[in-house]
Amino acid sequence: MYLSLSWRNLWRNKKRTVIAAASVFFAVLLAVVMRSMQNGSYGYMIRSSVKFYTGYLQVQGKGYWENRSLDKSIVLEKKQQKEIAQIPHVASTVPRLEAFSLVSFKKVTKVAQIVGIDPAAENTMTDLKKRLVHGHYLANASDGVLLAQGLAELLKVQVGDSIVLYGQGYHGMIAAARLPIAGIVKFPITDLNNGMAYVTLSNAQNIFSANGRITSLAIMLDNIKNQNHVFKSLHSKFGDQFTLMTWQEMMPDLVQGIEMDNASGLVMLVILYIVIAFGIFGTIMMMTTERAREFGILISVGMQKWRLAWVTTLETAFLAFLGAIAGALVSLPIITYFHNHPIPITGDAARMFDLFGVEPIFNFSTDPNLLINQAIVVLLIALATAFYPVFFIRKLQPVQAARS
Amino acid sequence: MRTLYSAVLCICLLLQASQSSAETAKDIVKKANDLWHGKSSISEGSMTVIRPGWSRSISTKSWMLEPDYAMILITGPAKDKGTVTLKRKNEIWNWIPAVQRVIKIPPSMMLQPWMGSDFTNDDLVRESSIVDDYTPSSIGEEKIGNYDCYKIKLVPKPEAGVVWGKIVMWISKKGYLELKTEFYDEDGSLVKSMIGNKIRTMGGRTIPTHLEMIPVNKPGEKTVLDYKSIKFNVKIKPSFFSERNMKRAR
Amino acid sequence: MLFSLAWKNIWRNKKRSLIIILAAALGLWGSLVAGAVWMGWGESMVNTAISRNLAHLQIHKKKYIQNKEIINFIPDGSQVLKKVRTLENVHAVSGRALVEGMAASPTSTFGVKIVGIIPAEAEKVTDIHNRLVSGNYFQSSSRNPIVIGKKLAERLGLKLHSKIVLSFQGLDGSLIYAAFRIAGIYKTDSSIFDQSNVFVQQTDLFRLLNSKPIIHEIAIRTETSAVLPQVYEKIKSLYPDLDVQTWNELAPEIAITSAAMESFTYMFLMIILFALLFGITNTMLMAVMERIRELGVLIAVGMKKGKVFAMILLETTLLSITGGAAGIAIGVLSIAYFSHAGMDFSFLASGMESFGAATIIYPTLPLEMYVALPIMIIVTASLSAALPAWKAIHIQPSSAIRTY
Repeated sequence: MYLSLSWRNLWRNKKRTVIAAASVFFAVLLAVVMRSMQNGSYGYMIRSSVKFYTGYLQVQGKGYWENRSLDKSIVLEKKQQKEIAQIPHVASTVPRLEAFSLVSFKKVTKVAQIVGIDPAAENTMTDLKKRLVHGHYLANASDGVLLAQGLAELLKVQVGDSIVLYGQGYHGMIAAARLPIAGIVKFPITDLNNGMAYVTLSNAQNIFSANGRITSLAIMLDNIKNQNHVFKSLHSKFGDQFTLMTWQEMMPDLVQGIEMDNASGLVMLVILYIVIAFGIFGTIMMMTTERAREFGILISVGMQKWRLAWVTTLETAFLAFLGAIAGALVSLPIITYFHNHPIPITGDAARMFDLFGVEPIFNFSTDPNLLINQAIVVLLIALATAFYPVFFIRKLQPVQAARS
Repeated sequence: MRTLYSAVLCICLLLQASQSSAETAKDIVKKANDLWHGKSSISEGSMTVIRPGWSRSISTKSWMLEPDYAMILITGPAKDKGTVTLKRKNEIWNWIPAVQRVIKIPPSMMLQPWMGSDFTNDDLVRESSIVDDYTPSSIGEEKIGNYDCYKIKLVPKPEAGVVWGKIVMWISKKGYLELKTEFYDEDGSLVKSMIGNKIRTMGGRTIPTHLEMIPVNKPGEKTVLDYKSIKFNVKIKPSFFSERNMKRAR
Repeated sequence: MLFSLAWKNIWRNKKRSLIIILAAALGLWGSLVAGAVWMGWGESMVNTAISRNLAHLQIHKKKYIQNKEIINFIPDGSQVLKKVRTLENVHAVSGRALVEGMAASPTSTFGVKIVGIIPAEAEKVTDIHNRLVSGNYFQSSSRNPIVIGKKLAERLGLKLHSKIVLSFQGLDGSLIYAAFRIAGIYKTDSSIFDQSNVFVQQTDLFRLLNSKPIIHEIAIRTETSAVLPQVYEKIKSLYPDLDVQTWNELAPEIAITSAAMESFTYMFLMIILFALLFGITNTMLMAVMERIRELGVLIAVGMKKGKVFAMILLETTLLSITGGAAGIAIGVLSIAYFSHAGMDFSFLASGMESFGAATIIYPTLPLEMYVALPIMIIVTASLSAALPAWKAIHIQPSSAIRTY
C-alpha cells in the first residue's frame, strides 16, 4: 500500500519528480563519464607502454629473463604458436630472437641489441614501420638490417652500406655475418636509439645457429581486462614447459606509476561524489521544504509521522532508482560515442605524445562494470539523502506547517 | 762450547726453515706459473665446453710471447676454422674469416665468454695477475693423487682489481705442477675450481696436459682444455703479433 | 532596490541559501584541491627524476650525448663549474666524471655507468644520499668506497662491505681494473636506474685513470623551476660551444607524463564544474518551485518579468560568490597545509613497495588557477541560475497563488 501511495505521490507532481530524479540522473552521468575516462586512460597508457616492446604477456624459456642468454631460447612449434594465437582475446603473437652482439663498420665497433623479428607481426604490435626515417622496412625474405638512428650515426653508415655483425650464438657458436642496411629507424628514447638493430627472424636464427628457436613470444590482447583469463589459459597449456611473464613483472617501474595514477584518480572521484552529494541533497531538501504544507496537513488529519516518513523514504528511493537507471542507460551511448570518437589532447602534451608514437587522445572505457558500479554508488548517495525528509518530518510542527 | 754451538746451529736452522717457507710460497707460485709460460711458446690443443644437454669442442693453435702478446688460431671445426684471436698488451682483436673482418673487442665485451666457454676474454688477457695481484702464504701440505703438494693460500692485494676473496692452490712439490686451484668469494664460498691432470712431458717440460674449469653452482657445466703439443722458448718477435698475420695464420 | 530584495530573499530562506553556498564552496574547494593534487602528483614525478640524477639543467661537451666516450669530457670543466656556481638563481652545481664500464662479482658481471662525484657537492643536487637502504654515503674510511643500487647488488650477489671490481677503459685506451668496497646501497623508484648507476669518489677515479680532473657532465639545480628558463638562457649564452639541456629535453618520457597530467587536470575540472552546474541548477529549480506562490504574488502585483529574472539570477550569483569565497579560503588553507605536510598515498596504493618520497604528494597549484577557477565557478553558478530564473518568469500568477 505504501508502495502505491509513494508511487502515486511522485506522479502527482511531475515537475518536482523530474527535477529530483534529474539530479540523480546527472550525477550518475558525470560519475560514469569521469570513471570511464580514468579507466580508459589507464588502459590506454598501459596499452601504449606494452605495445612499445614487451606486450601484455610473454612466453619465454625457463630462466631466460634474468640474463637473456641465447642458450635459454625455446622452440615453439607452429602448432603451439597456432594454439596460442587461437586463445580467445589474444590479438596477436610476436616472436623474437634477441641477442647482443658487436656491429662494426670500418674502424668503429659498437655493442648492439640484435632483434630477429617477424616483420609483419612486429609492426602490428610496435608500429616499427612508422619509425622508419630512411630506406625500406624489412620484407619477409630480406637479409638486410634496420639500424636505430643513433647507432647508424655512431657507425657513420647509411642505407646501402654493409655492417659486420659479430657475437656469440647458441651453444657458444660464433655468430658472424655481413648485413646490408635496409633502413634506419628512429626511437624517442636515446638508449634505444643508440643500440637497436632488427633483422628477420629466419636471418637471426641462421646467424646465431639457433634454427627454429626464439627467445620470446610477446602477446597482445584485445583488452587488458582479459589478461588474467589469457594467462590462465596459457599456464594450463604451457606452464611446465615455459616461463610466462606479465608486463607487470617485466616493467615493474611502470606498475608504480599506474598505481599512483589510480590513487590520485580515486581522490578526484571522491571529490566528485562530494559535489554530487550536495547537488542531490540540495534538491531533496528543497523538495521537502516545498512540501511542508502538504506534510502538515497530512499529519493534522491523522497520518502518523512514521508512516509519512516511510512514504517519503520510498519516494526518495524510487526517485533515486529512476534517476540512476536513466542515468546509466543514457551514459552508455555517450561513453560509446567518446570511445569511438575520442577527445583529442592538444598543445604541448600532444607533441609529447606524438614523439612517442602514441596518439594524443582521451580514451574512454566502455566496460559495463563501470556503469553498474558508478550507478550503484550514486544510488547509495541518493538513498542516504532520504534521511533528510525523515528528519524533517520528525521535527515538523504540523499546525504551523499546514498554515504556511 | 759445543752445546752453545749446537744451540746456535739449531736456532739458525729453525730461522732458516721459517724464512724459507715464507719465501718459498712466493717462489713456489712463481715457479708453477713459469712452468706454463716460458718466455714464449707455440702450442696445439683443444677446448671443450660442456653443458647439461650439449657440448662443443674447438681445436686451437696458439702462439704466446709473455707477457703481452698472444695469438690463438681455431683449427677446427670447419665452421669456425680460421678464426683468430689476437692479444696485444690489454687489447684484443678477432679475425673472422666468414665476414673477412678484423674486429676490436671493446672493453664492455671483455667480461664476455671467449668462444662460448667458461673463460672470458678478460681471462686471456690477464693470465699473469696471479703473481702480481696476490700475496701468497703456505698453509700446509696435501696429497693429490700420487703427488705431494704444497697448499698455498693467495689473498688479493688491497688495490688489486680481482673479484676473488681468496685463491687456494695445490702445487706439487716435484715439478711445481698446478694440480688444483680453488677460487673463493669474500664470504669464503667456493665459486669455481680448476683441476690439472694427465701429467706428460712436452716440449722439454713436465706439465699437466688436461685442465678442467668447473663452476661450483652449475651442475653439468665445465670447460676442458687439452694440450696436444707445446714448444717452449721459440723464436717469435712482437711484430709477429699483427693484424696481417692474423689473416695469414696457419 | 533589486539588490536589497535579492539580499533579503537570501536571508529569508536560510536553509536553501546555506545549501547553495555550501555547494559552491565545496565545488570550488574540491576543484582547487583536486587540481592541486593532480598537479602535485605530476610535479612529484618530475621532482623524483630531477632529484635522482637529472637535476634542472645539464651541460655536456657537444659530442657527448651521441658518443659517451671518456675522451668527450668538457674542456676546462673545472672553470665552467666555478663560473656556473656563481650565477644568479643557481641553487647548487655538481660535476660528474662519467665512465662506462663493467661491474663484476665472483658470480656475475653487469654493464654499469660509473659516476665520479664529490659527495658534498652531489648531496646538494641529488638525493641519492637520502635513499640509502644500508650503509652510508661516503662517510666510511674504506679504500675506494662505492655506492651502488639495490638491484645491482642483487644481480651480482653482493652486499654491504662486499668487494666489487670495476673495469673500464682509461684515457689511453688501456683497460683498468679496480676493486671497490660497497659503502652504501641505495634504492630509487627506478630499478633500471638502480642497476646501472654506481657512484664513486672523483679523487679515487682520477687516481685510477692517472689523469687530472675531468668532468663529463655538470648538473645544475636552480632555485625554483620558475627561474629555469632564465638560467638556461644565461648558460647557453655564456657557453655557446657546449651542449646545454633542460630536464625535459634530457628525459622526454617524463615530460610527456607531466604534460598529460595537466590535460587530465583540466578534463576532470570540467567534469566537476558540470556536476556543480547541475547541482545548483537543480537546487534552484526546486527552490523556485518552493517559492512558486511568493513569485506568483510578485508577478501578480506588477513586478516586471525581467526584474524577477534578474532577481533570481542575482540571488544565485550572490550565493555562489559567498560560497566561492569561502571555498577559496578553505581551499587555500588546505592546499597550504598539505603542501607542507604532504599527502601520503601509500595506503591507497596497497601492494606497492613504499618509496618514501614517491608516494607522498605535495599538492601545488599554479597561481593562474587560483584566479581562473573562482571565475569559472562563479560563471558556472550564475549560468546554473538561468534555467530556474527562466522557469520563474513563466509562472502563471493566478494559478501560482492558489498553489498549496
